[in-house]
Amino acid sequence: MSLNFSSPLFLLGLLGLTFPVLIHLLTQRQQKRVRFSAVYLLAQSQKRSIKKSRPNKLFLLLARCLIIALLSMALAKPLFSTTTSESLLPNSPASIVFILDDSYSMGTRSKEKTLFNYALEYLYEGLKEAPENSEFSIVLASSPARIEQDWTSDKSNFINILEAQTVSYRTTYIGDAIEKAVKLLESGKQKKKIILLLTDLDKNGWKEETFPKITVPYPIQVLNFSELQSEKNKTMIENIEISQEFLTQSRLLRVKAKVKNFSKTVNRLPLSFFLEGKLIKEELLDIPPEQTLIQEFSYPLIKNQPLNGKLQISDDVLPIDNSRYFPFHPSQNIQVLVVDGDPETISHQSESFYLERALNPFSVSLSHIDPTVSTLAELTLRNLSDFSVVILANVRELPPGYELELEKFVLNGGALLFGMGDQVDPKYFNEHLGNLLPVQLESQQEFKVGSLRLMLKNNNHPVMRVFSPKAVEEMQGINFYSMYTVQSREEKKFKVGAWFSNQHPAVIESEKGKGVVILFLSSLDRDWNDFPIQPTYLPWVQRWTQYATRGLENISRKDLLVGEPFHKNTTNTKWIVRAPSGTFYRFENNVFTKTFQPGIYSLFSIPPANTEDQKALKKLPQGAEPVGTFTVNIDVRESEPNKITRKEIEGLLQGFKLEFLEPKSQTIQHKESEAMPLATPILLMVAAMFLIEGWMVRNE
Amino acid sequence: MENSEQKFDTEVLSRISNLKMTAMNLVEGLLTGQHRSLHKGSSVEFAEYKDYSPGDEIRHIDWKVAGKTDKYHVKQFQQSTNLKCTILLDASGSMDYDSPLKEHTPKKMEYARNLVSALSYLLLKQFDAVGLTLFNDQVIEHIPPRSKASHFKNILYGLANITPQGSTDIVEVLVGLSERLPKRSMLILVSDFFIQNQDLQKSLKLLCSRGIEVVLFHVLHPDEMHLPFEGDIVFESLEADLSIGLDPHDIQEEYQSMIQTHINLLKENCNGLGVDYVFLDTSESLDQALSYYLLKRKSLIKL
Repeated sequence: MSLNFSSPLFLLGLLGLTFPVLIHLLTQRQQKRVRFSAVYLLAQSQKRSIKKSRPNKLFLLLARCLIIALLSMALAKPLFSTTTSESLLPNSPASIVFILDDSYSMGTRSKEKTLFNYALEYLYEGLKEAPENSEFSIVLASSPARIEQDWTSDKSNFINILEAQTVSYRTTYIGDAIEKAVKLLESGKQKKKIILLLTDLDKNGWKEETFPKITVPYPIQVLNFSELQSEKNKTMIENIEISQEFLTQSRLLRVKAKVKNFSKTVNRLPLSFFLEGKLIKEELLDIPPEQTLIQEFSYPLIKNQPLNGKLQISDDVLPIDNSRYFPFHPSQNIQVLVVDGDPETISHQSESFYLERALNPFSVSLSHIDPTVSTLAELTLRNLSDFSVVILANVRELPPGYELELEKFVLNGGALLFGMGDQVDPKYFNEHLGNLLPVQLESQQEFKVGSLRLMLKNNNHPVMRVFSPKAVEEMQGINFYSMYTVQSREEKKFKVGAWFSNQHPAVIESEKGKGVVILFLSSLDRDWNDFPIQPTYLPWVQRWTQYATRGLENISRKDLLVGEPFHKNTTNTKWIVRAPSGTFYRFENNVFTKTFQPGIYSLFSIPPANTEDQKALKKLPQGAEPVGTFTVNIDVRESEPNKITRKEIEGLLQGFKLEFLEPKSQTIQHKESEAMPLATPILLMVAAMFLIEGWMVRNE
Repeated sequence: MENSEQKFDTEVLSRISNLKMTAMNLVEGLLTGQHRSLHKGSSVEFAEYKDYSPGDEIRHIDWKVAGKTDKYHVKQFQQSTNLKCTILLDASGSMDYDSPLKEHTPKKMEYARNLVSALSYLLLKQFDAVGLTLFNDQVIEHIPPRSKASHFKNILYGLANITPQGSTDIVEVLVGLSERLPKRSMLILVSDFFIQNQDLQKSLKLLCSRGIEVVLFHVLHPDEMHLPFEGDIVFESLEADLSIGLDPHDIQEEYQSMIQTHINLLKENCNGLGVDYVFLDTSESLDQALSYYLLKRKSLIKL
C-alpha cells in the first residue's frame, strides 16, 4: 500500500499551516492577566462548567490546520494504490551484483528523465531497504563491460558511486558484463548470491557468442526499463559519407547522410548541415515509414583548410543518435605506394617511372596525390596504414605472409591496384591472392599491332566522366599488344570497369570490406602497350587512384566509433589530443584510446623540448600547433529500437535462474489507472471541516 | 513603639488620620441620640432584692425597704467587668483584591480597615478593651486588648501597616487563639473567608464552647460575587493557587451559584452556632452596614 502525489509541489502548501498556528498564538498573547482572590473557585467552576472555552480554541486551531493540510493534499492529487511494492532486494544479507546498462540507449528520455535515471532511482530505493551486512558491487554493461565497484558493504559509499554514474556513449555488452558478474559472485562472502540486471533490453547488446558458460546457476533478476519509455526512438543519422569532386581548380565537398526512420508513420523533419559550428544548409526531409533516406549536401571548398562538420536532425526521445560528426582534410593528399616488381636500370623502362609522373606530374602537388615508390624488398619496412592506395605493378611474388597484411589493408578501407607484366606469375596470384582477387588469372595473350584496343563507347564508369569525347576517341586509338585473360571465381562479385575490343575485361574492380581491389589486365609501362606515352594516361591513372580511394573518408580513415582506438605514427614529436569535452590527453605509444565521447577531437603537436609537467594538462602547452582532427561517432546499432524478447533471453542465459521484473509496478511510476485518486474525498473532507469550523466560530 | 513610630511614613500617617476620622464620624454618628448614662458605670447597675441572711454585708441592706416592709432586704448589683474584645483581621493575599475594572469601589482591605477602626473606636468609646490580631496562615501581629482611649492609636498603627500577603488558614489561627483568649470575651473575625477544605464550623464551635462571643464580618468585593469580566483572561492567584486561563463568560453562572452557596453555608453554620454573621459588600457604604448590625444586635439583646 502506498500513497503518491501526482503534483507534489502543491505539498508546499503545508507551509500554510503556520498561519492558523500564528493566529492561535497571537490571540493567546492578547489575553488579559487579572490578579484574583478566589482562583480556586474559578477552577472548581470550570471543572463543573459544560462550556469549555480552551479546548474549543484548540479544536478550532486543529480544524483550521486540517483544512489547510487537506486542501494542499487535495491539490497535490494523491493517488492511493493498494499494490504492495515488491521488495527489490532479498530480506536476508546477500551478495548482490548490479549490472547497470549504461549504454547510450539507456539515455532514452521518458517524461523528464532518462531510463538511466529511473534505473538509478530504482537502485537507491532498493538499497535503502537492503538488509545490513549485504555486500554490493556494480558492473557497467556497456562495451567493454567493466567492474565499477568491487564488493563493498558501505551503503553510503556505494550510493556515492552510483550518483557519479552517467549514461555513456557506448553500446551494450551484456554477455561480458554477466561473465564479470559471475566472477565477482564467486568471491562474494554471503551465502545468498544474486545478479540484478537493469537494462532496456536493447537487442544490440545480446550476442550469443559473448555469453559465458554456466557453472553455478546464480539467480538473475532482469529489470526491463524500456517499459517506462513513453515513446520509441524515431529517427537516427545512420551514416555519413564524404566524397570530393575534383574540378579543374577547386574541389566540391559532398556529404551524403543516411537518415533512418524507425517509426511506422512518415516522418517529416529538418536535417541541418553544420560546418565549423555554422549552419550551412537545412533541408526538410519526408522519410517514409521504416525506410532510410539519403540526403546529399555539397559545399564548394574555396580554401584548402581542414573542416569539421556535423549533421543534425530534430530531437526525439533519444537525442544522441540525431547528430553525427565528420572530418574533412582537403589539404591532405592521397598517399600512394607504388611497388615496382620489375625495376630496370633505365628509368623509363620501369613502371614506377610512368606511374610516379602520372600521379604527380609537377614538383608541386597539384593533383593532391603523393606517390612513394618502393621496391619489393623495401615493402616490409613500409607501414601500410600511412597509405591509402597501394599499386602493385608487375609484381612477381610478395614477401612471405604479406598477402595477409594487404588483405587487412583492404578490409580497413585501403585500395589495391594491380598492374600486369611479364613478371606476373598467375600460379602465385591464383594461389596466394585468392582472397583479394575476384578472378583467376588464366594466361597472357599477345596481339598484333592494331588488333587490340580499349572499348570505351557507352562507358558510364565514374572514372570516364571527366574525359571529353575527343579524349575518349584518342584513348580508343591506343595500341595494346598483350593482356591477361581471366576467369571468374565462384561466389565472387566484381565489376568490369573497361573492356578490350576482344570482349575481354580490361579493368576489373571488386569491393572487399571497406576497401577496393582493382585489376588492370595489361601493363602499366610501355612493355605491353603505348598507353603510358599518351596524354590521356595521366588523368586516367589519377582518376582511377582517386576513384579507388572513394573520396576522403577512406583517405583519412579517421572516422571512428566510440571506444575505438585512434592510431597514428607520431615518430619523434609529442602529440596532445583535445576531447570534445575540452579535456586534454597525451598521445602515447602511437595510440589514443580515450575516445569515449562522440564529437570532434583535435590533435596538437608540441615541441619535443617542451618540459612541462607530465601530469597536469589543463591547457595547451606553449608552442602547441594544431595538426589535425578526427571525429568519433556513436555506433548506430544501439539505436535500433528492437528489443530482445523473454524467450530469447531465456535461450541465451540457459542455466541461470531468471526472474523478470517490471519496474512500473514499483515505486518509480504509478499509472493512474492502477491507483485510486483521493482528491475528491479529501475535498469533501475540506468542505466538512469548513462547516465544523464555521459552527465553532459561531459558538465562540 | 519608638522604633515603629520612626517607621511611620507619610502614607501610613495619612492613612491613620483618615481611619481615625472615618471611625469617629461613623461611631459618633451612630451614638447620637443615645443616653450616655446607659453606657456609664455599668458596674453599679441594680439587679434584684434578696432576703437578708446572716453573712450578708449590712451596708447592702436597703433601709428604705426595711422601713416600709419591716423586713431586711439586701440590694444586689449586677456583677460587671470591662469587655475584652479581640478583632481578628485577615491579612492574607486575597484581601488585597482591587478591581481592574473602572467602577469605583473601595479596595477590600481598605474597607476592612475602616470597619475594624470603626469597631475599635466604638468599643473603646464604651471603655471596653480592644485588641487587634492580624493573620494569614498564622498570626502576623498581635496587639493585646487595652481599654485606654489612647490604645486606639496603637490599633490604627497596626491597621495602617498591613501588607496583605500569603495564604489563609483561619482554622489553625482560631485553634491557636482559643487557648489564649480570656473566657467570655468577644472575638470579631473580619475576612473574605476564601478558605479551601477548612472546617471553620468546628473551630467556631470550639470558641463558642469556651464562652467566647464570635462575630463574623464577611467582606467581599462585588467582582468576587458577580465575576463581571469579559474576554480571555488569565486569573493569577493572590494567594498560592495556580493561575488559570479561561473565558469568565463561560463559567459566570456556575461561579455565581458557587459563591452564593459558600455564603449561605457560612451563614447557616453561624446561625446554628449562635454566631453573628454579617455579610458586607464593599460597594455598600460601611456606616449603613455597621448601624444595621448594631441595631440588630441591640434588638437581639433586648429580646
